[in-house]
Amino acid sequence: MNKPLILVVEDDRSVNNLITTILKTHDYRYLTALNGAEAVLEASSHNPDIVLLDLGLPDTDGVDIIKKIRTWSNMPIIVISARNEDKDKIEALDAGADDYVTKPFSVEELLARLRATTRRLSASGQTQAEDAVFENGELRIEYAAGCAWLGDKELHLTPIEYKLLCLLARNVGKVLTHTYIMQQIWGSSGASDIASLRVFMATLRKKIDSSVDGPQYIQTHIGVGYRMMKVE
Amino acid sequence: MTEERQNAGEGGKSGQLKIFFGYAAGVGKTYAMLQAALTAEERGMDVVIGSIAPYRSLEDTALAERLRAMERLEEFDLDRAIRRKPDLIIMDDLACENPKGSRHSRRYQDIRELLKAGISVYTTVSAQNIESLNDIVTAITRVPVKDRIPDSVFDHADQVELVDLEPRELLERLRNGALAEKEGEHPPGTAYFTVANLTALREVALRRCADRINMLTRGDGAAHGDEHVLVCLSASPSNAKIVRTAARMANAFRGAFTALFVKTPDLAYMDEEDRKRLQSHMRLAEQLGARIEILYSDDIPFQIAEFARISGVSKIVIGRSAATRDHIFSKPALTEKLISNAPDLDVYIIPDADPGSSFYRKRHFGTRRHLVFSAGDILKSIGILLAASCIGFFFYNLGVNEANIITIYVLGVLVTALVTKNQIYSLISSAVSVLVFNFLFTEPRYTLQAYAPGYPLTFSVMFLSAFITGSLVMRLKSHAKQSAEVAFRTRILFDTNRLLQQARGQEEITSVSAGQLVKLLKKDIVVYPAENGVLGEPQIFQAGETEPDAGCISAREREVAVWTLKNNKHAGATTDTFSDAGCLYLAIRVGENVYGVLGIVMEGGELDAMENSILLSVLGEWAFALENEKSTREKEEAAVLAKNEQLRANLLRAISHDLRTPLTSISGNASNLLAMGQDFDEETRKQLYTDIYENSMWLINLVENLLSITRLVEGRLNLNITEDLVDDVVAEALRHVNKKSAEHTIVTESGEEFLLARMDPRLIVQVIINIVNNAIEYTPAGSHITIRSEKKDGTIILSIADDGPGIPDQEKPRVFDMFYSGGNPIADSRRNCGIGLSLCRSIIDAHGGELTVSDNAPHGAVFTFTLPAGEVQLHE
Repeated sequence: MNKPLILVVEDDRSVNNLITTILKTHDYRYLTALNGAEAVLEASSHNPDIVLLDLGLPDTDGVDIIKKIRTWSNMPIIVISARNEDKDKIEALDAGADDYVTKPFSVEELLARLRATTRRLSASGQTQAEDAVFENGELRIEYAAGCAWLGDKELHLTPIEYKLLCLLARNVGKVLTHTYIMQQIWGSSGASDIASLRVFMATLRKKIDSSVDGPQYIQTHIGVGYRMMKVE
Repeated sequence: MTEERQNAGEGGKSGQLKIFFGYAAGVGKTYAMLQAALTAEERGMDVVIGSIAPYRSLEDTALAERLRAMERLEEFDLDRAIRRKPDLIIMDDLACENPKGSRHSRRYQDIRELLKAGISVYTTVSAQNIESLNDIVTAITRVPVKDRIPDSVFDHADQVELVDLEPRELLERLRNGALAEKEGEHPPGTAYFTVANLTALREVALRRCADRINMLTRGDGAAHGDEHVLVCLSASPSNAKIVRTAARMANAFRGAFTALFVKTPDLAYMDEEDRKRLQSHMRLAEQLGARIEILYSDDIPFQIAEFARISGVSKIVIGRSAATRDHIFSKPALTEKLISNAPDLDVYIIPDADPGSSFYRKRHFGTRRHLVFSAGDILKSIGILLAASCIGFFFYNLGVNEANIITIYVLGVLVTALVTKNQIYSLISSAVSVLVFNFLFTEPRYTLQAYAPGYPLTFSVMFLSAFITGSLVMRLKSHAKQSAEVAFRTRILFDTNRLLQQARGQEEITSVSAGQLVKLLKKDIVVYPAENGVLGEPQIFQAGETEPDAGCISAREREVAVWTLKNNKHAGATTDTFSDAGCLYLAIRVGENVYGVLGIVMEGGELDAMENSILLSVLGEWAFALENEKSTREKEEAAVLAKNEQLRANLLRAISHDLRTPLTSISGNASNLLAMGQDFDEETRKQLYTDIYENSMWLINLVENLLSITRLVEGRLNLNITEDLVDDVVAEALRHVNKKSAEHTIVTESGEEFLLARMDPRLIVQVIINIVNNAIEYTPAGSHITIRSEKKDGTIILSIADDGPGIPDQEKPRVFDMFYSGGNPIADSRRNCGIGLSLCRSIIDAHGGELTVSDNAPHGAVFTFTLPAGEVQLHE
């Protein structure tokens, strides 16, 4: 597959420069937009593979752009936020963003996010036809049978753990907020549920991330949520 | 009294009250008022007619024409009037009584509120409507007047315009029918309208005006001078007049004014009507500016004299009925005793208006009417009598003398008096004892005859001694009861004081005070806290087992409470304002600051004066406690603010330094590279790039810390506390530590699986980053850093240990100081933004934990902090 086309939406020229330089040196194709209106126009006319979106734009709120794009496309959106507040990220994620990076970010961090998203894009291209089985590295879920495997070992999961795993798997590569997960699993979200979500997530992770050197499947985003990483 | 003072004290904000004062109806008060109003309107004031009686004599004048053009508030409504907020409202007849269901029962109360709202008022009043003149006017006209206003309203008016007219001219006008029967004040044709009467009235009115001016020139209404007038209160119908006379006297002498009531034991038999009348006399006295004192004794004259001596009373005013009071044993009259007890005092005796109906004589009949014989007491009396007779028989058979048997009967009567509730039982017992003794033991026995000539004497002595003993016991009993009651109430006051001193915080103060009041009044109470003039949610304190009716916190009741809060006055049941409410509302206040409103559910009667005075003292203490609490809180807040301010100042100083150094490095290196990047060799260039990168990373960390500080400074409530897994937080922190960490070995050890702690994860991540960075900074490359977490007694303990050189003991206490950095304070070479560790401590403090530093074995430092452990209930 070709290197994906990336739309960079960022009003600050030096940051815009930084990002495009990184993209150029890593052979990504890219488009740039300096404000919200341009971003929507470029997104609709060029249909990029990934959008890198700065939340603090001069003309529109980044969250509104996400909502607008989501009306017609599921293209992955990675939010770049200078705001340190978790609630901005959560708002963006709940609006439909896939991932986020916080300014100041390192070059490696940005590249890692792009790689992960690209992997997911190509993976979803392959597995769309066979939804009954999910495969991610050593991890395999057979939805029909209701069981999960790590390599050749069957995982012994409690019903909640299995539900969590499926939820993460179906949204592989995407950061899921606590609220979203709790609504999907328990149908509600309360303060006490957050604590129990963390415990379930920890036990689940213990079962699938058991080997020290092996890949990490589940990532914790403190104060935001969880994500299943797409591994090679 | 205080209410008036507050009104007067408000000065500039409140409206002006102008009273048009006349000696009788028809002198032209209303006309003068309307003319003044029209003049005011001409001067550009916004004038509105609030209320005015139809006034026929005006109809043909030019005045009427212009009046019709003036805005009129139909069916006067106080709230609407205040909302409309004109400059001036015309309210005819100050003394008028409001229709039932209005907020206030009297119009002058409406006017007070209008004034308070900043609206000026023009009004009219006749001499007869002034409380202290009431008796005099009634004596002249023989027409009782019901609508009266307190003198204070008149005296505190901003202007009083006397509208005067020659009595002959007035009569002339009356004869011409110019005066309509306005408000039905006086049916024309009564004896009222004679030249003599009118002249007398005119004199009264003029003198009252002169008194007022006199008072104004002498200063405000506060009493000064040496005179102290004391009036004795009673339930006698004529007492009101005596109180008014005394008030006039106090006013004329510019002296202090006290109303005294001596509560005697037999007062317990007072009937409902008398009790009410006594209450109304007390209220009247209070309205007239008296201080109310209540004493307990059965020796009234002695008590009055004692009180007068102690309080420096110079004049005593009592009524004649009290003066000629007679007791059963023809004691000297009260006045005589009073005079002999206090020979230095002036005693004024005011004649009873209606001597035929002496109140006290009536009361004695009353006592008997209210006597209820209880079966229990009767049985007890009979039983005791039987027992006495049996013992008597026993002794009689032993040959004991009759005289000794008599003592047994006397003893029996004494016991009867002890166990029964009313004196009547011991009286009857005495009589029956004599008869039984006569029947059983005197010769001839078993007849009611007695042969011996000495017997009648024996019988009378027996009867008298039995009866007197009984009475004494009764009196003793009621004294004991009364003093127990007084002691109980004193105790409540004392306890309240003590408890309030211990109470901390608004809620405790409220519950302590409310609890004490419930104990005192035995009524349910409702407390509305108030802050910044806004009423909070009511809290109910119930006296009995049964829940109070929900009606006591209804919207309607709340409205009354809000009024009380706004106006800082009593309202609700048993007052003249919102008298249809279920509760009596009092403001919990110190001066103008209202801290809450107290509602007392007034089921089952009014409060008596004693309860009232204790209630007010408790209320006062309550308010003071709240005020103290508030000022303490404010002081603390100010201290915190000052501390924050100090923190900010220090921070700015440190930051500007800490920012400049890395920025100098970054900008300098970058400009070097730009200008002569090509001239440097590869090695140098790399060094410059590294410096730029490291300095900017350092700045990033500083910014993160600053953000944390802002959140901390914004206050504890801004902490975003959740329950997080300690492992997750540690892992997240390690992702962000200094890049130099590659040279160190970092190990995490978790004692238990899934340790949950209550924390703001972002801030705790920052704490771990700072401590780990600190360890990396101060230990040589290759050192080990161990992060260990465990749970102990509901707290999570997290320790970060290194095996570096450690921290010398003398420096340990200072490592958490702001801007301290290991030995060399703020040195450019080893800058480690001194805010790091001090911020950590602030963050941990804000979480209710503790951050400490200790030595690691064999060498190194251990930073340990605690966090409250989180609880989890798994939702399967």
